[in-house]
Amino acid sequence: MNWAIETENLGKRYGDVAAVDDLHLRVAEGEIYTFLGLNGAGKTTTIRMLLGMIKPTHGSATVLGNRVRLGSREPWAEVGYLVEMPHAYPELTVYENLEVARRLHPGTERKAVNRVIERLGLAQYANRRAGILSQGNAQRLGVAKALLHDPKLLLLDEPANGLDPAGIVEIRALLLELTREQGVTVFMSSHILAEVSKLAKRIGIIHEGRLLQEMDIAGMERNRRRRLLVRAWDIETVQRALSAVGYPGEILPDGTLELNQTAAIESPDNIANLLVRAGTPPTQLLVEEEELEQYFLRLVGSSGDKQ
Amino acid sequence: MKTLSNMVWIELRKVLRSRVPLFTALGFLMMPLIGALLIFIYKDPQLARQLGLLGTKANLLIVSADWPGYLTIMVEFTALGGFFFFCLAISWVFGREFTDGTLKDLLAVPVPRFDILLAKFIVSALWCMALILETYVVGLILGVVIGLPGGSLAVILHGTGLLAVTAVMSITLVMPFGFFASIGRGYLLPIGIAVLTVILGNLSITLGWGEYFPWSIPALVFQETPIPLFSYALVALTGLAGIGVTYLWWKYADQNR
Repeated sequence: MNWAIETENLGKRYGDVAAVDDLHLRVAEGEIYTFLGLNGAGKTTTIRMLLGMIKPTHGSATVLGNRVRLGSREPWAEVGYLVEMPHAYPELTVYENLEVARRLHPGTERKAVNRVIERLGLAQYANRRAGILSQGNAQRLGVAKALLHDPKLLLLDEPANGLDPAGIVEIRALLLELTREQGVTVFMSSHILAEVSKLAKRIGIIHEGRLLQEMDIAGMERNRRRRLLVRAWDIETVQRALSAVGYPGEILPDGTLELNQTAAIESPDNIANLLVRAGTPPTQLLVEEEELEQYFLRLVGSSGDKQ
Repeated sequence: MKTLSNMVWIELRKVLRSRVPLFTALGFLMMPLIGALLIFIYKDPQLARQLGLLGTKANLLIVSADWPGYLTIMVEFTALGGFFFFCLAISWVFGREFTDGTLKDLLAVPVPRFDILLAKFIVSALWCMALILETYVVGLILGVVIGLPGGSLAVILHGTGLLAVTAVMSITLVMPFGFFASIGRGYLLPIGIAVLTVILGNLSITLGWGEYFPWSIPALVFQETPIPLFSYALVALTGLAGIGVTYLWWKYADQNR
């Protein structure tokens, strides 16, 4: 498989603090890989190391087949990026900022500026100074600068920051289109889990500089806890009846019975039959999936506990 | 070469669309105005007495109320006051990338880092030259307006020559301030060092070591104090070293902003 991004033991230390530690990443060409982590987890430091802005204290990174080195010119003609806040020259207009970006990528045709303005919905702001753009439009300008030269690889740090719901959907559709139709690889960081689950093919969870878990989106769905919640008029009788047939459960403070057995979760109709036959029919059966946020915090929290 | 011209276009566009050049132009304009005012006061002893402190200042600074005296004070103002404005200009060209958070957009690009930096130095120098030209033209006009005696082509050419040499030296000596703006990631460090440089420059001249301290040398030149050839070389080396260390820092330092 061809890797768009490959890192070996990549790490950055600031004195005793490990901002990123022994990172092994493989991002395949054409996939959307999301780096998930809390603030300060090491997402931005990783992206800066991948872009050759920060020198790793150990390990190495290879981007589009080129070993990343500080100040090198390769492979940036084929990489678009957005790091942290989408800053622009405030006194220049949206068009002028994009013209600056175009000139920083020799060979990019002049028409590319208007094309990306249209694509990102910035046409009505083209002659507006960047300093007075709303946060959402500044974000669009940042993404426009990253896309301007039709890169093969996009490194995006929190691309949905500051966008309204319509903007988030738009950017998501755009990134999906780029990967599907042009084979662009997207490596993005985020802490918005719902967004990640709709976009990414693979997810890496980073916490305190270490990659805790790497999985595909199906794997994440499998790993999320599910439970069957049962409500009935006499919940204690229900608990006894189910326990007697191999479904022990716990009564929650709100009077709901929680069952964690896979058989119960996958066949709630069987539970309903059992309870009807026991003479205590349920008033509600609900299969509940763990929220992404809860799953993420459980993962991060258990890592913190181990340490 | 095309890349460099593109980078110069970018830097010029940033400077021309900003209000900072206007402020420096207005600030720089004060120098010929103050020079002309002092000459005007000096010309009239009764007015000088009436104005008290300002009159005393005029008597202290002005050698003679004629074109040679006027051009001397113009060159002196340009060398001392101008240096601060030049520092301000180069500090803005480099420091703004840090304060505006735009530096990261210049780093992972397929353009040689040296071209990006050279364009910044070129545009900083052009900005300084424009300020000098402004002072020169306004200064000459004011000299004519206040009716200074003793003007001749030789006098004007001599004054212009001194101004040109002093200006070229000052612009060369301001190059390391691109480095100070970079390591200080903004404007404060270079402005602070500029103040320190002027203090140390005066001290060096007072102690008789002026020819060894690069930032004292333009003052010795406009005072027409004979200086050895190595002093000129020292100025050139300081400018080149400034460009060199700025390049090395931009290429090899971690960029977190």
